[in-house]
Amino acid sequence: MTDLLTRTRPKVARRAQRIGLLIAAGGLAAVFVVRALTGDIALVDLPNAAQDLVTLTVSVMIESLGFVILGILISVLVQVWIPDRWIVKVLPRNAAARRVVISVLGVLLPVCECGNVPLSRGLIAKGFSVPEAMTFLVAAPIVNPVTILTTYQVFGFTDGILISRIVGGFLIANLVGWLFSQHPAPGALLTEKFAADCALPAEGDHDHDHSGSRWQESRDLFARESAAVMPALILGAFIAGLVQVAVPRSVLVTLGSNPVWSVLALMALAFVISICSNIDAFFILPFASTFMPGGVVAFLLFGPIIDIKMLAMMRTTFTTTTLVQITTVVALMSAAIGLMVNFYA
Amino acid sequence: MPDLKRFQGLVLVGVMSASTLWLAATGQLELYVAPKHAVFAVVMSSLGLLSVLVSAMRVTVHHHAEPSPRLVPRVLAGVGASVAAVVTAAMVLLPPATLTSATAAQRDVNSTAPLADTATLDEQSAPDASTSNLSLLDWASLLRQTSDLAFYEGKTVRATGFITPDADDPSNVFYVSRFYISHCAIDAQAVGVPVYMPGWAGTYDADDWVDLEGAFDVNASTTSAQGIAVTAETVDPVAQPADPYIYK
Repeated sequence: MTDLLTRTRPKVARRAQRIGLLIAAGGLAAVFVVRALTGDIALVDLPNAAQDLVTLTVSVMIESLGFVILGILISVLVQVWIPDRWIVKVLPRNAAARRVVISVLGVLLPVCECGNVPLSRGLIAKGFSVPEAMTFLVAAPIVNPVTILTTYQVFGFTDGILISRIVGGFLIANLVGWLFSQHPAPGALLTEKFAADCALPAEGDHDHDHSGSRWQESRDLFARESAAVMPALILGAFIAGLVQVAVPRSVLVTLGSNPVWSVLALMALAFVISICSNIDAFFILPFASTFMPGGVVAFLLFGPIIDIKMLAMMRTTFTTTTLVQITTVVALMSAAIGLMVNFYA
Repeated sequence: MPDLKRFQGLVLVGVMSASTLWLAATGQLELYVAPKHAVFAVVMSSLGLLSVLVSAMRVTVHHHAEPSPRLVPRVLAGVGASVAAVVTAAMVLLPPATLTSATAAQRDVNSTAPLADTATLDEQSAPDASTSNLSLLDWASLLRQTSDLAFYEGKTVRATGFITPDADDPSNVFYVSRFYISHCAIDAQAVGVPVYMPGWAGTYDADDWVDLEGAFDVNASTTSAQGIAVTAETVDPVAQPADPYIYK
């Protein structure tokens, strides 16, 4: 309807665009003004713990914001500007070899896990089999340059954390892909309404109005991606700050110094906080001094693939049974790799 | 009917980006992230603002057939949106602040003071060793290496930091402490030197910034876990420095 308006009444559309721009510019200017006015005024006298909770939360948000914006912009680039056939047609024909290549596609498509769900749906629509899309979904958040760079920035090559993460993510993705490729009817792994739910249309899908330009698509996608990612980012930052303030260090030290509990506790933490793989290394850094390295590895493997936020997003595509199976496989593999690091590294 | 969820994302990106740029413009970004990350944060926040402005010009609304979310995802989304709104408002309305003695106490002062790139026992055992350039981090590192009083004999401690009460004997012992940070405030670890001063709370408050000068001696406290502590010659209140954190 509005697109029709854009085509038939360009003056009205341009006016609406100007109004949108003015509202956004006015809103941002208002933020600067309010910030300048309140910069030195303590509107409320917070207790130390509450003040520190705010400081820690804001710190994680600022540290993560740049990576999230980068991830969204790359997601827009991949989904709107790169033709899908470039990705599908260059893959090997052998199924296992295809999955191996697909599991490193994240190097070319470095979107964080939130962006991977709609991207995977689009890949299925473009010809990927369900197991292949799963392989991509599991591997891409870990085996991608942004995640590797931030993990390296935080840990370097200390305790084999970076290598364990990359190799572990690759192995888990291919195992998941191989397991589900044995399913007699992979289509049954998807929800019945997937086609209707699919956010990204197939070529020639005339039900979706793409009469707008790619620029319009890009603007729309930026808005949708940020709407999906930003609340999760802030909630994750808040929980990260809360854990830091509220959980006594003695508890963390007790859990973290045990080879088994360090792995299980950090996997549980990863599941709850649902933080983005591009920045989870920053989040886990303060725990690195109290938790064994295997726990950190398990956190960095499990969290990007399975957490509250991801399960909610993946449920739009896969059945509950499928998600339980994926979660079980990924949890067992993450724990096994984490324990191996603790006992042998 | 406007797509409110679509605007929610733009608002959050816009407010956070604008707040980040304001912190950078006023020299306070380093209260939250290490200087080495500041440039990236500023560049990406600028891109974020630009993207918000460009995206706000989009007038078409792309509708897809989306199923009604189930109860649990709907509740989670509601909690997430509420927390996001409150935290983002706090980011804009509350003045920038450093971490306090509450976090220093929670993380145990000197529990993880780094040993790399700080003063070593060998260096400081040399006859001509000088303590004039030692930072609070150096002193904390030395304390982790030895509590042998003979090593500290004749060495004058000069340090600036905020007061954190000792967890075991808060009436008689406090730390002159600071946070050192690798990436952002969430990885902050507290370092400091213990000071034995009975009844210090009558003169100073926790979180006060002070200049300390004194020398190590046996800690007269019967309950503090610290074997040695500084006996202060002077403890002068000072303003919080512009660079309150130590970045490593």
